[in-house]
Amino acid sequence: MNWLQRYVRPEQVRELSLLLLIIVAVIVFGSMIDNYYTSRTFNRIASSVAIITIVAVGQTLVVLTRNIDLSVGSIVGCTAYFTGTLLAQNNDLHPLLVVLAAVALGSVLGAINGVFVAWGRVPSIIVTLGTLAIYRGLLVDLSGAKTVTTDSLPSWLVDLPRVNLFAIGEFDFRAMFMLALMIVIIFQVGTSFLALGRRLYAIGSNPDAAKLIGLPIKRLVFLTFVLSGALSGLAGFVTLARFGNITVEAGRGLELEVVAAVVVGGVNIFGGSGTIMGAMLGAIMIGILEQSLFRLQISEFWRDALLGLLILLAVASDAVILQRLRSLWARADLKFIAKPPDDGPAPERRAPP
Amino acid sequence: MTESETAHAAGAASVRRAEDGRASVPVLEMRNIAKRFDATQALEDVSLTLYPGEIHALLGENGAGKSTLIKIMTGVHQPDRGEILLAGKPVTIRNAAESQRLGIAAIYQEPLLFPDLNVAENIFISHQDRGQVVGWREMFRDAEAILAKLGVALDVRSTARGLTLAAQQSVEIAKAISLNVKVLIMDEPTASLSAHEVAQLFKLVRDLSDQGVAILFVSHRMEEVFDIADKVTVFRDGQLISTRPRSEATPQNSITDMVGREMGLLQPRPPTPQGDLLLSVRGLGKEGVFEDVSFDLHRGEVLGFGGLIGAGRTDIGLALFGIEPATAGTIVLNGTEVTIRSPGESMGLGIAYVSEDRRQLGLSMPMSISANITLPTLRRYLNRFGLIRTAMERATAEAFRERLSIRTASVDLPVAKLSGGNQQKVMLSKWLNTKPSVLILDEPTRGIDVGAKAEVHTMIGELAAEGIGIILISSDLPEVLTMSDRLLVMREGRQMAIFDREDANQESVMTAAMGQEAASEGGVAA
Repeated sequence: MNWLQRYVRPEQVRELSLLLLIIVAVIVFGSMIDNYYTSRTFNRIASSVAIITIVAVGQTLVVLTRNIDLSVGSIVGCTAYFTGTLLAQNNDLHPLLVVLAAVALGSVLGAINGVFVAWGRVPSIIVTLGTLAIYRGLLVDLSGAKTVTTDSLPSWLVDLPRVNLFAIGEFDFRAMFMLALMIVIIFQVGTSFLALGRRLYAIGSNPDAAKLIGLPIKRLVFLTFVLSGALSGLAGFVTLARFGNITVEAGRGLELEVVAAVVVGGVNIFGGSGTIMGAMLGAIMIGILEQSLFRLQISEFWRDALLGLLILLAVASDAVILQRLRSLWARADLKFIAKPPDDGPAPERRAPP
Repeated sequence: MTESETAHAAGAASVRRAEDGRASVPVLEMRNIAKRFDATQALEDVSLTLYPGEIHALLGENGAGKSTLIKIMTGVHQPDRGEILLAGKPVTIRNAAESQRLGIAAIYQEPLLFPDLNVAENIFISHQDRGQVVGWREMFRDAEAILAKLGVALDVRSTARGLTLAAQQSVEIAKAISLNVKVLIMDEPTASLSAHEVAQLFKLVRDLSDQGVAILFVSHRMEEVFDIADKVTVFRDGQLISTRPRSEATPQNSITDMVGREMGLLQPRPPTPQGDLLLSVRGLGKEGVFEDVSFDLHRGEVLGFGGLIGAGRTDIGLALFGIEPATAGTIVLNGTEVTIRSPGESMGLGIAYVSEDRRQLGLSMPMSISANITLPTLRRYLNRFGLIRTAMERATAEAFRERLSIRTASVDLPVAKLSGGNQQKVMLSKWLNTKPSVLILDEPTRGIDVGAKAEVHTMIGELAAEGIGIILISSDLPEVLTMSDRLLVMREGRQMAIFDREDANQESVMTAAMGQEAASEGGVAA
């Protein structure tokens, strides 16, 4: 076994190849679209990636435990709209309070999902499909189909998307993008270095064994839904800042992009494996595709279809690719384990039923 | 004083002189444990004592109560009566996590690891004492240290997925050691291991016992038990029959204790006149599951398949029915060689298989009795518009209800409402309705009460008398012995022997099933 195989795991190879794929995509689109390599393209992609990434981080936590949260688009819509309305009525609210309100509303909506999944024993796909419609319905009803408009919002918020933290050359690193990056780093560290994070992997990897060693499965699953809701709430705030005009349609269809980002990023839809970093790479890939196809003037219906295709391909290829990689690693492992030359009679092995 | 009385007396004393002369307090005492599941008394007044550093083997047929006892030790089940003492103090074990905290760990035939977590994480996952922050460097180092102590070379950074079963078991043992277990339960740990891997495992087990860990070792392989155990305890019908020190136990007296079952009210089935050769199987095999199985089945004959669970008997049934097709050998049915690749083909050839698993594979619980019975033959019940003729369906169901005396208010009731015995009759009806010439019955009386059992037995006799060739797979030794004209015994995927009715008795069959020298030559009896 060489050092590369010792320190780079098959799962990481998958993420590295996604990075390679992103570079290839950029080169291909660069050759098809004029003026592609500009700061404008970069900034557009970065701000669209920011929203998908923040929500995808929460989604990853949920998917790791063998669940799914389809209600994220509706939560983003609700928080964007209600935070916008709140702000339109009280223009001098402290910015931090506004963010907190968005996160709190998202958490409450996520907690409702979590209660049904963890204690109501309803499959998460059904619970969140239900709340996807319910939250959107509540939004339409309570808003009376009114729209939050940019001119009703305070200037600090309207200017927020253009706030630069720093710039390298003409590439601006804007506050929104850096916020997403920060969240990725926090949760990446949390899932790799906290016992809590590793337990999420354990639950998704083998629920029976997790139960046997006494992990608080219900509480942990509930927590992932609250976090997914909270991050969707934060993304709702970012959406409000980015677009200014918020209709009841805000965030509609976002779940498709987010689930695509997560599975393209190598998070196993059956739980147990995948990383936050991977999900971010997936979000970047989705962001590049969306912006580039928009520039190529391909209709948004085709873009959605392409996202659907990507989800199918990612999930279908995932098992095959990882199995190949793992067997490559396993062969290297065999060399690593000292075995006596004579193994006696042919080993009788039985496949589990 | 008999053996078992000696054992009880020893168990009652809290301190005794161990064989090696050192004074020793029992690490775990199970006193007068009883457990009942519905109609079955799984454990009856069982007392078992484990001393530090002893390797205690547990023997018994399937259903003798070994697993129930283990599940009580690990907190999966709660005893109805009796008490558990850990180092002399009474304890209640409410769940698996609690039993681990008390220092009791179990390793099963199929290890319960987290496939996506790496080896080190799997070893330390139950450690609540390592804090909230994962120190990967220390964890890898500690895991490597434990594995080195065990003499196992494994990459602690690789995921558990893809490890061999032997490697997975090493991880389970490492996990147990890291938790400082005092009692390690090993439930058939060698069932899927090669000879070399077994030798390695046994070295580990001996090292652990030298360190004072008490080991409860369950295995169906006699030679292993007598290779490693300090003490041998035999269970039968939920009771502890004997506990003997290694020096006094022999394979033969253990087998005698295991099989001394009451034949009860079972009467040998009067032999039916045997007809023509129906089915002839030669060298049937399936990669890694069973191999070289050869037998003949005649019209009107009941051929019993004896052996322990996991010996490959069900797999032969699944192969003949095309669910898990065989990969080697020939099947000749009514003089023509056939290949069976799917249940559809098998049904077309007149073979029917009544599964041991009524819930998973056999019946659709929410559906009505009549719908269940006609399911495999539904095409016969369609009118010219492709709609089901319910009247005809009901007539068939009524006919079977009469014939097999299925006790129900109506054939329109869902199967879930019936008792186990009546569900079994519905299953039987369903497959009899395909008008089979070969009927494979897999554990047809498991989990049903005595009365229903007798009815099923009568029915088997009647079906054989009608000229159906019956393969009866059963782990219930008295049952196969009384019902079968001939008895094929399997062990670990191999055909050990075919006994004629007069040569088959509990001891000869169990001896073959446990892999002791076969009393009769294996092979095909004509």
